[in-house]
Amino acid sequence: MVNIMETVIETNSLTKSYHRKNVVEDLDLSVPEGSIYGFLGPNGAGKSTTMKMLLGLAKPTRGNVRLLGKTMDDRNRLSLLRDTGSLIESPAYYGHLSGRDNLLLIASLKQTPEKQVDDVLRIVRLSDQQQKKVSHYSLGMKQRLGLAAALLGYPSLLLLDEPTNGLDPAGIQEMRELICTLPQKFGMTILISSHLLAEIDQMVTHVGIIDKGILVFQDRLDILHEYSRTGIRLHTTDNETACRLLAQNGMPVLRKEGCLYLDTRKDSDVLRMGHLLYNMNIGVLRIEEKQASLEDIFLSFTGAD
Amino acid sequence: MNELTVEYRKQKHMFIWLIPLVFLAVIFLWSTAGQGGLSDYDLAQGYSYLLYLMPVLNCILMPVMLAVLSSRICDMEVKGGTWKLLFTLQEKSRFYDRKFLTEFLYLALFCVGELTVLLLCGMLLGYTEPLPVKQALLHLAATLLTGSAVLTLQHILSLLAANQFVPLLTGLAGSFLGLFSEFFPPALARLVLWGYFGAFTPYHMDWNNDAQKIILIHKSFPTGLFAGLFGFTVLSYLLCRHIFLKKEL
Repeated sequence: MVNIMETVIETNSLTKSYHRKNVVEDLDLSVPEGSIYGFLGPNGAGKSTTMKMLLGLAKPTRGNVRLLGKTMDDRNRLSLLRDTGSLIESPAYYGHLSGRDNLLLIASLKQTPEKQVDDVLRIVRLSDQQQKKVSHYSLGMKQRLGLAAALLGYPSLLLLDEPTNGLDPAGIQEMRELICTLPQKFGMTILISSHLLAEIDQMVTHVGIIDKGILVFQDRLDILHEYSRTGIRLHTTDNETACRLLAQNGMPVLRKEGCLYLDTRKDSDVLRMGHLLYNMNIGVLRIEEKQASLEDIFLSFTGAD
Repeated sequence: MNELTVEYRKQKHMFIWLIPLVFLAVIFLWSTAGQGGLSDYDLAQGYSYLLYLMPVLNCILMPVMLAVLSSRICDMEVKGGTWKLLFTLQEKSRFYDRKFLTEFLYLALFCVGELTVLLLCGMLLGYTEPLPVKQALLHLAATLLTGSAVLTLQHILSLLAANQFVPLLTGLAGSFLGLFSEFFPPALARLVLWGYFGAFTPYHMDWNNDAQKIILIHKSFPTGLFAGLFGFTVLSYLLCRHIFLKKEL
């Protein structure tokens, strides 16, 4: 298990405007060391713009970025990024060259030993296809090549922008497994963006949710899970009377879609409800615990229907 | 140096060197065609004739060659969406300069190749005229400078255009404009960048009606024009570079 020690990425009031419209607004991101940080948001929420600002590819209108403990500016940007790997939007490649030649070029620019090319090809499972022209690769293979390029030099920090975009379910699964192994194997911190919570729910330790350029949630994943409030769904022989009775007795009850919803997590409330219904001769036909899915929570944060 | 080497390694399997070579072959064929059985008079002004002909050929061919060259070298970055990766590894300005330098070296290769064609023609056709070294070197310098000016424009267009049709069309249009500018009034002709390939020609042609012969008359080199074009090239390079650096990805 990787120890979480300090903040690897920190942004302060990071803002980016295009044509006087804020695409990212006062973003205070905090990514702890050793974490896999899921950066979530609907399409167009400002994830890619934020990622570009983190890499110095887009200039912030306001605010600053602290990367690996240092405030990034034009002078130290490249030296800071030397310890960072990235895969932004779609994989970058030279289609007329083989996968291996592509990585050799990147290794040369990163000034990392060429021997590492073999290692990263093995990690992303592309060793057998390394001599093939990249233009003949499938999208999944291109994404893995992009990840291999990001891994060259074994950076401390990996920024992956929607790395599973366009992949089939098997490809998504493969990419997910690959990403999950990296912090333990190489001690990397990973910031991964996605618009699908379910997709990254299985790999991240921390979550940040951005909507319309504003960070609406940021914490550990287990804290986010706590928002998945439990409640009781109930179906009785007489829902109308049951609803009135429970409400009269001060219980938080709602009638919805032909069922009753009891907004409580306390066992004592459930017990009391049973007594009340029994005393009024109302039979309980079905009773189940209702849990808000993470998608529901995500949608409630982002205000989408 | 490493970044320049990387630029050449990117061109593996692309046979970029074939582009200037093909155009040199065209120039060689054009220069030698119809020169069989030359008279003593023609052989005595063989080099001068070629130094008169080459700027005209350059006017037609070089805009297209430079457009193709620049487009081939830059398009791989546009097609592969490599900016977002490259600019986390190298300075944008260094990328721009190295890429231009790569293209410039092909241009220089072409210019030297053209002088080789000149010498080759002299040897093969048996010119009796001594090689006008000064004129040949001035032709080399003028071609290199005009080529650089055109390349500056093609370079930025090829890097910024999502579709390489735009820079290629510019090259073709430049070729036509350059050639036609020879017939424009001088003041107007100076506004056509591609026309400068022909503006530094060391000779102009006249017809001796009595002798029924073409006479090539030596022209003095337009130093002021050369200096002006040099200044324009440097300024436009800096401006294009600035535009590229300012453009966010």
